[in-house]
Amino acid sequence: MRTRFSDRRKYFLFLMAAPAVLYVAAVGLWPLAQGIGYSFYKYNLLRPARTQFVGFQNYVDIFTDPATRRAILNTFQFTLFSVALQLVLGFCLAMLLWRDSRFNRIVLAFLLIPATITPLVVGLIFKAMLGADYGIIGFFLAEAGIGPRTGLLTDANTALWVLILIDCWEWTPLMTLILLAGLKALPADVLEAGRVDGATGWQRFHMLILPLMLPSVFLALTLRTMDAFRVFDSVFVTTGGGPNDSTNTLMMLGVKEGLQFFNVGFASAVGNVTLLFIALIATVLLLVVRRADVRINGK
Amino acid sequence: MARVSTRRIFLERTTVLVATLVFLLPVCWLISTAYKPSNQIFSVPPRLTFQPTLDQFRAAFALFDVAALMRSSLIISIGTTVLSLVLGVPAGYALARSRSRYSAGFAYFFLAIRMIPSIAALIPFYLLMRDIGLLGTWWAVIVFNTMLNCAFVTWMMFSYFKALPPDMEEAALTDGCTQIGAFWKVAVPTVRSGIIACALFCMMFSWNDFLNPMFLTTLDSKPISVALLTAYGTKDITWGTLGALAHFSTIPIVLMALVMNRYFVQGATNGVQ
Repeated sequence: MRTRFSDRRKYFLFLMAAPAVLYVAAVGLWPLAQGIGYSFYKYNLLRPARTQFVGFQNYVDIFTDPATRRAILNTFQFTLFSVALQLVLGFCLAMLLWRDSRFNRIVLAFLLIPATITPLVVGLIFKAMLGADYGIIGFFLAEAGIGPRTGLLTDANTALWVLILIDCWEWTPLMTLILLAGLKALPADVLEAGRVDGATGWQRFHMLILPLMLPSVFLALTLRTMDAFRVFDSVFVTTGGGPNDSTNTLMMLGVKEGLQFFNVGFASAVGNVTLLFIALIATVLLLVVRRADVRINGK
Repeated sequence: MARVSTRRIFLERTTVLVATLVFLLPVCWLISTAYKPSNQIFSVPPRLTFQPTLDQFRAAFALFDVAALMRSSLIISIGTTVLSLVLGVPAGYALARSRSRYSAGFAYFFLAIRMIPSIAALIPFYLLMRDIGLLGTWWAVIVFNTMLNCAFVTWMMFSYFKALPPDMEEAALTDGCTQIGAFWKVAVPTVRSGIIACALFCMMFSWNDFLNPMFLTTLDSKPISVALLTAYGTKDITWGTLGALAHFSTIPIVLMALVMNRYFVQGATNGVQ
């Protein structure tokens, strides 16, 4: 009787999970597998007759062609700097909002607005504001002689940095929210003990708060890094990868090649390389999280 | 609790307030463009004062079928949200309750789907939709977005159900409750706030998404996000008109997030812990 009951439970749970697993396998994994297949072909939708098997040639091209190498470097630069800046700013804001009060709760709600706005619209806003000829920020910057005359987004030296700042504007609030949740979950007695022992504010911060926050920090980093590495919307709207490929990122490259030039083989290879990079970064970060966790909790 | 000086609180609050204003100013600017006459949006040098007008909204309604765009956005977002919840909530429950040693592995599999750069799956999916004749329909977008979102929902609900002790359901089952009953009447009501948070995030994701619908929809099925993109750079369409159109794309979702702030905070932080 007992075994029959637990068997029935097992079948029931299996049936509950099966639809989602099958769905994701059919709509997610199957296309991914097909994409791996396409990536070994020279395959353009506009010239399907000239499809031919080329082995790893598409992958070799990604790493040897200067334009695509640029896209890889841009993606890494973008991810590194935007996530680092968001982390610092987000941590400061989270510390300021730590104290639980009505004021702080209301401010947080409004602070989160950039994260809820359509990313496409975010790109449009900044494109309009930064134009050197008429944008409300761009005009005065150009008048003051700061930055290139043509505008920050149309200059190959500054465009990527501007995109990094736009990303910070958009996602620092979310970083703040995640870190704030971490701060609020810190053990109150440990912090109180630090205060009683007469530790100064700075000592409390770097000897108590920071080490205790490491797991939250790394998890927030992992999430934001994975998203920043796939940046597309804001780039697509503001610069489209230009000028001179200076803001071309891997996602941008993949979308342009695949869905605009219909270079399915090469674009699939770009998509797979992006996925591989993300998986690598996530693995490294998660290993670091686990080690930090072990060091702090001693398990 | 140690006393904190009022001066310090004042300083903290001023800093936070200034930072928040910096984050909100670009949004205010966008909103204001929609009420300016075209010749005052980009006057040189830029001016801060203007004569309010509703002309830009009239232009937006004249050039775009705003109602149809909103309807497309709504159909895509609601369709995606409902399907993702229907698939994801039971799966999250099953993985959290299963004693199989594979269940945690499956949960991480769903988390990993979150990492996929959509381009890697979108191109083959695009070809598949073309071959079966669904390209250009709402279904194409809903089916693809549901894949990404139901993975997210499964992972979120897995952590919500995991945090809930199974005692209540087990008691209900021994009392003769059916398996479905134990799930639907005992477990689901206790994680209601988690389900609302999941729904909010699915709605936000599909409403704001434009890469997938840009390639999967056509002129008559495109949502408002895609319309904004194609409107940009078209002759006759001024920034003011674009700002007016952007109202319809941003305000519903921002309002929803503000009203449901509690769930937004919960959802964003639960994905982490």
